[in-house]
Amino acid sequence: MSVAVGTMQMRGPVLAASGTFGYGTEVPLLERRALGGMVSKGIFLRPREGTTPPRIAETPSGMLNAIGLQGPGADALVRDYAPQWAGWDFPVLVNINGESASEYGELTARLDGVPGIAGFEINISCPNVEQGGLYFGNDPRAAAAVTEAVRRRTKLPLWVKLTPMVSDIGVIARAVESAGADALCAINTFVGMSIDLNAFKPRLSFRTGGLSGPAIRPLAVHLAHQAARAVRIPVLGIGGITRAEDALEFLVAGCTAVQVGTATFVNPNAIADVHDGIAAFLEGRGFKSLADLPRYLPRD
Amino acid sequence: MGRGALSGMFLIDAPLTARREVARGMFVISMHAPEIATAVRAGQFVNLGWSGGPLLRRPFSVYRVEGEHIEIVLKAVGAGTAELLTMQRGERLSCVGPLGHGYDFASRARSAVLISGGLGVAPMPLAARDARAAGLRVVWVHGARRAEELCHEADGDEVIWATDDGSLGTRGTAVSVAPDAEVVLACGPNRMLGAVAERWPDAQVAVETYMGCGTGVCLGCAVPLRRGGYDRACKEGPVYRAADVDWTALPSHLSYAVTV
Repeated sequence: MSVAVGTMQMRGPVLAASGTFGYGTEVPLLERRALGGMVSKGIFLRPREGTTPPRIAETPSGMLNAIGLQGPGADALVRDYAPQWAGWDFPVLVNINGESASEYGELTARLDGVPGIAGFEINISCPNVEQGGLYFGNDPRAAAAVTEAVRRRTKLPLWVKLTPMVSDIGVIARAVESAGADALCAINTFVGMSIDLNAFKPRLSFRTGGLSGPAIRPLAVHLAHQAARAVRIPVLGIGGITRAEDALEFLVAGCTAVQVGTATFVNPNAIADVHDGIAAFLEGRGFKSLADLPRYLPRD
Repeated sequence: MGRGALSGMFLIDAPLTARREVARGMFVISMHAPEIATAVRAGQFVNLGWSGGPLLRRPFSVYRVEGEHIEIVLKAVGAGTAELLTMQRGERLSCVGPLGHGYDFASRARSAVLISGGLGVAPMPLAARDARAAGLRVVWVHGARRAEELCHEADGDEVIWATDDGSLGTRGTAVSVAPDAEVVLACGPNRMLGAVAERWPDAQVAVETYMGCGTGVCLGCAVPLRRGGYDRACKEGPVYRAADVDWTALPSHLSYAVTV
């Protein structure tokens, strides 16, 4: 069940998605033997308070969240968490965030070479403050600029987590591939809104939030497939995976590995269950390894 | 910090074993969860999921422990709790717990007052148990809008009832009729806890928030603090020193939207 995402070797194809696993120190129930890797909670260079509550709302087969990337900042991450990661038997990538391309670069420079940090996942779903607050992820030039700014400061594996809130994900995928990304993660949450009919206002104080969970899975499989068709670098599938069959859909659709997120909130052993289910599926169907799994990936 | 808050956390497939009504529309359900029954302390909670239920688990304070069984108290306030109340004996609940940091009991104190409003009675029987174990005399104060909404189970050396309409006990709120004590514990609507904070800044109060994971990772259950910033109801809480919470920034009441 081992898998390579670019140059990164992992013992399994199932990773913990950013924001749903904290810094890996919180969830004691998970059977870590199954964890292929972990992407840490998104971090900014400086500490962030996060948004005022309510921050989450449940929706049909999903949840909205607007946490606001609450976090302790790069120095605390280096001091408190990276030393623990250095002793773990799976790779930890840091999900990095910024309000300008130069801030992403500065953060990368601070974290590059710190023992325990195996790579970076760029979150490009942040507002670009320097250019009027539009999201980096919607604009191929801005997405490429951020990727280049990070690439210049690290030789570690560099993944870019794409937003689904675009008209053509292939355009963004190709732009960040050209800018030096080693892999793509598809996709981040969809932006959604839910209204409280008692208060006549949004249920989240931030008004909108990121929709995750099984509700987005078919959308995510389609977008991950489109991204995989658009590029030559590996794609990690994300979006509503709760069972092995869900992960297998992403793999057959062209992904090299998957990340499990919201499901971990519900089932603290979700990652182990998905991992074991994939292994059982491969064995049951007579496939010797993940590489033998048939893929549906016609090139454009 | 909490005593063994996360060191002993269990995931248990717990059969539902009993149900009883303790006020109009308010029920206690029991489940067989031996490890949690042994480990749980007053003010801690369990996070429940069930087959065919909503996506996210639902957090409940542990109400009582009876041998290898734990009890929770609930009303049908939304789709999830309504489903829970249709479940039959023998059906299984997936139960994660015990979670969170509960009430602390000062060793030198002699008296405790336990103040609850409505469903805020949830952590109080266990609080009475742990308070007595710490050598405290327990005054039980419980309030509701009217007599039939009072939880009729009480556990105090002295018991005081309060109703908004005066239909049972003293007319007024639980906070307004409660006597002083060295240790003040409270649970109820966040608005009520704000009033507790004004009268007893050092009171220990159990807050209610929406919750995603219950284990400290999602940061969805943020509690705004007076010193600035947030922490997590599921980990540093749900019990706080009353004066530490920024009550103006904590939603005063949760709306339980239908989610199916």
